[in-house]
Amino acid sequence: MVVVLLPSMLAAEAGGRKRIELEAATIEDALRGLPVADRLFDEHGALRPLVNVYVDGVDVRERDGVGARLEGAEEIRLVAAIAGG
Amino acid sequence: MGVLLLAGTRKGLFLLEAADERRDWSLRGPLLEGWEVFHAIVDGRDGTLLACTNSPVYGPTVHRSSDRGETWERADELGLPDDSGLTLERTWHVEPGRAGEPGRLWLGGAPGVLFRSDDGGATWTPNEALLRHETRDRWNPGAGGMCCHSIQLDPDRPERLHIAISAAGHFRSDDGGESWRPANKGTAADFMPDPYPELGQCVHKLLRSPVSERLWQQNHCGVYRSDDAGDSWTRLDGNGLPSDFGFPLALHPRDADTAFVVPMGGGDDRLTTNARLGVYRTADGGESWTLSSAGLPDPAYAVVLRECLASDALDPFGVYLGTQSGSLFGSADEGATWSELARQLPPVLSVEVAAWS
Repeated sequence: MVVVLLPSMLAAEAGGRKRIELEAATIEDALRGLPVADRLFDEHGALRPLVNVYVDGVDVRERDGVGARLEGAEEIRLVAAIAGG
Repeated sequence: MGVLLLAGTRKGLFLLEAADERRDWSLRGPLLEGWEVFHAIVDGRDGTLLACTNSPVYGPTVHRSSDRGETWERADELGLPDDSGLTLERTWHVEPGRAGEPGRLWLGGAPGVLFRSDDGGATWTPNEALLRHETRDRWNPGAGGMCCHSIQLDPDRPERLHIAISAAGHFRSDDGGESWRPANKGTAADFMPDPYPELGQCVHKLLRSPVSERLWQQNHCGVYRSDDAGDSWTRLDGNGLPSDFGFPLALHPRDADTAFVVPMGGGDDRLTTNARLGVYRTADGGESWTLSSAGLPDPAYAVVLRECLASDALDPFGVYLGTQSGSLFGSADEGATWSELARQLPPVLSVEVAAWS
């Protein structure tokens, strides 16, 4: 079981849920299991470039990307990368 | 009955409601917080609110509400096929289908794409003929992206549709969207080596008269009218307009000769002309234009974007505009006098108006 924490804009799109628990083998499986998966990935399956994903505090880009196995990880935090405005 | 004004902004959607007299307006919002609302409408067939919503982080989509904006649902399927090599960049304009086409909606987006929904906006299918148009490699994006921003349905010919893309021009379909033909004869593209090309014009807004086949367009290079469904165009600036450049356009609900534009400087300034906010009106099919500005700020250095001018269908009809400075102005007397309905909103991206009860 992993917990996914959603930022406010995505939480609004998920019926107000800021925290979703689910079973998943990989980070991508977890993200695709969310009701906002289409806002995280574009129509060709690519993670949108300004969506940052942290697994137990570590940016997935410092691991093996979203394809990495969760292997006991407890928390996925989604953070919108945006400057100003 | 009453009137609902929908103001899409850089920071969500604002709704203003008034009785038919349109004197006192109540403001609600922001709805769809965090989303850039490029365009929002009421589908007059069933009262559903529809909004083209975009986010630099979470991408483009369409939201819809069947409870007057209290709750919203997002499109389930919206995107471009892998083999197109294109990715949907933004949603720009949503247009209801005809009265006898329940559930049908049209959606324009970037890069120069059109979608159709037959289930009220839950799922959207890209228009293949436009997606793979043989002239696509000759289209270029305007400053706002290569947006399909205008969709007009012929109410009398179910197979006829008009769209406009900046900067690809006006296209007409006479087979329900199975094929598209550029129809830009007489419209200028001064920025091209050939100033009157077959296509590539930078149309800023295109509307069909509610009461005739007449088309109007505000273009990067002029204001035009067509009385033959776009086969040929007549230029209408140079006879009272201070600039041939501008973005928005609005039409009289019952008189095909009356239209409104908001001229802007076409050079580097891109501000309303003569350091004021002025709406120009023609009542003779564009033969002459007169300034309508009583109640509008002067001086003013405003920007009024392509979707930011609208008219209602009451009698007398109302005209409404929104600015990048966050103001909404309205006229309940057909543009003769204006008042500020709201101020200090986020930058206004679109204005639409609908009958509302």
